[in-house]
Amino acid sequence: MMADEAERLWETHDILALGTRADEARRQRHGDRVTFVRVATLALDTAREARWSSAAREIRIAGRPHDVTAAEQAIDSVVRRAEGRPVTAFSLAELQALAPDRAGFVDVLRRLFGAGLTSVASADVDGLEDLRQPVEAVLAADGHIARFTVARATHESPVPLFLAVRALQKTTGAVRAFAPLPRSVDGSRPTTGYEDVKSVAIARLLLDNVGSIQVDWALHGPKLAQVALLFGADDLDAVPVEDESADGRRRAPLEEVKRNIRAASLTAVERDGRFGVLES
Amino acid sequence: MSIDTIAAGVRSGERIGFDDARELYREAPLALLGALAHGIRLGRHPEGVVTYIIDRNVNYTNICVARCNFCAFYRPVGSPDGYVLSFDELFRKIDETLAVGGQQLLLQGGHNPDLPLEWYLDLFRAVKARYPELRLHALSPPEVVHLSRLSRLPVREVIDRLVAAGLDSIPGGGAEILVDRVRKLLNCYTKATADEWLGVMREAHRAGLRTTATMMYGSVETPDERLEHMFRLRELQDETRGFTAFIAWSYQPEHTELQGVEATAVEYLRTLATARIVLDNFDNLQASWVTQGGKVGQLSLAFGANDMGSVMIEENVVRAAGASYCMDEVEIVRNIEDAGFVPKRRTMHYEIVGDPVFRAREVPRRFGLDVAKHEGEASIPSELASYRGRSRAARDARRSEPPGGAPTSAPE
Repeated sequence: MMADEAERLWETHDILALGTRADEARRQRHGDRVTFVRVATLALDTAREARWSSAAREIRIAGRPHDVTAAEQAIDSVVRRAEGRPVTAFSLAELQALAPDRAGFVDVLRRLFGAGLTSVASADVDGLEDLRQPVEAVLAADGHIARFTVARATHESPVPLFLAVRALQKTTGAVRAFAPLPRSVDGSRPTTGYEDVKSVAIARLLLDNVGSIQVDWALHGPKLAQVALLFGADDLDAVPVEDESADGRRRAPLEEVKRNIRAASLTAVERDGRFGVLES
Repeated sequence: MSIDTIAAGVRSGERIGFDDARELYREAPLALLGALAHGIRLGRHPEGVVTYIIDRNVNYTNICVARCNFCAFYRPVGSPDGYVLSFDELFRKIDETLAVGGQQLLLQGGHNPDLPLEWYLDLFRAVKARYPELRLHALSPPEVVHLSRLSRLPVREVIDRLVAAGLDSIPGGGAEILVDRVRKLLNCYTKATADEWLGVMREAHRAGLRTTATMMYGSVETPDERLEHMFRLRELQDETRGFTAFIAWSYQPEHTELQGVEATAVEYLRTLATARIVLDNFDNLQASWVTQGGKVGQLSLAFGANDMGSVMIEENVVRAAGASYCMDEVEIVRNIEDAGFVPKRRTMHYEIVGDPVFRAREVPRRFGLDVAKHEGEASIPSELASYRGRSRAARDARRSEPPGGAPTSAPE
């Protein structure tokens, strides 16, 4: 798809026609399969003492590390207790801030991957001035980035951003999954449903060289996540391992996510943090 | 019949039958259902307008003897959490509603045995005397049935008295699913059977009132029973033409006795689209952003809805069951325009009354819905002592009164 066509689709109000196109593209690639991953998210400050459910299929450390040693120690502590589970941590920007230059950044990454880090947890495609250089540093350190994300909502066309991701993938092959919905919105002016499903659909159509279009189950909620599956998304990230509310434990998130996928006439397939399929 | 054949029939304007509707509802891809519904919606409203109303959803009491097991809002008689709003509290809420451009009060509440018909008549007369322009969209059919039983007057007489006191229209609440098997399971059969609900609406339409119709789906009913609900509404609409709009909303299970899980967003969009196809004699379908949130609420505009419902200002019942979405007028208008439509304010009768209020004058943003009662406000207003309650507590209180007893009507 060319940029001008994608821009026209961003302007359309015919979301049903757009959704149908994106759904076809998604089905050509994934059939009726939807993957999801149950993630135990640990705060960096308490990661060394943290416990997690054995149901976690990815353990994710979140927080901005003060220095490389703190990051390395947290990863090491979690990996030792992870019993082989994938451990992801930090954003690309957070790690880049720990290194003085590119060479130093590769060294930082090598230390962390050497400590057992499976992947950098995320890379905001709108958070870095030069996306290609840090991504290539990760590859140079023989590492991976679990997901590429969009940090902030702008209400502007996401097409230039998506084109940058496509170009990055063409030159690096580093983008395993792309999550097009912004992770942060203005509470007084959130993104609309139309904006969200158009973003997902256009991402699917435009990023024909990217495997998965992903939606964050915990962040965006079951309703939008489920609808997004019929507008081109094929992967649900960040399904909580446990769901504790003020009133006590509620229906298991695993059942909830499977029920939503089934209700969209799709087939749920659990994966782990390495994108390895665990059941079918 | 194949999906394609059924879809062709819908596109050509044929009235759909039950079996074909079932086939579409169960088997058609979501995009096809949406396209069929949207096509009908555009045919009926080609001007590209999406309407909304500024009103306030006030629940005058949460005390209720119906005890529906899907309801998280009600409190039994004698509960320390039970409340009745005073006339003054209601007036204050009306003042706030008028201040943000509202022109209607949606007034519903529990089946409180201590609120006789006279209390409602006094309230309506007092509201109309004070706010002659305000529209009273009040008392769902089960409340009317309750008042009929309480006053031992026929439904027709109750409606006529309420209309004389100021009732303008009747909201379609309490319909749940209009199938008695379901109503028995939901413990709402005794508050009003399916026939009783439809009977109240028939009487209201006879009295010249326009009403809405709702459907609460996703509790214990089957897909066929959802369709049966729609077909029963279509049949009555053929007879009376009194319904202005249909609103489907999903059962909200939190804090209810029934519990369970909420139907998914895709099920909502499928149900909405199917309703647009089946209810070919309904002009308007509302998007239920209150239960679905703003995003799916907006997407509803591509699946047959042509109305964004109410700005609402206050909501208590759905919130009690776990949903706490809020959209003020700015947000509703932004969502309508973002979907490519023109926003217009309307009345309950779906008459256009104008453009967004906030574009003509400054209106404070609202990022949360108000509640029925604020902390420190009395649970039971003193004026209630003027009415003859039917609860045990009210009867006991009367026995201890001096000879002569309490008056049966509130003093002016």
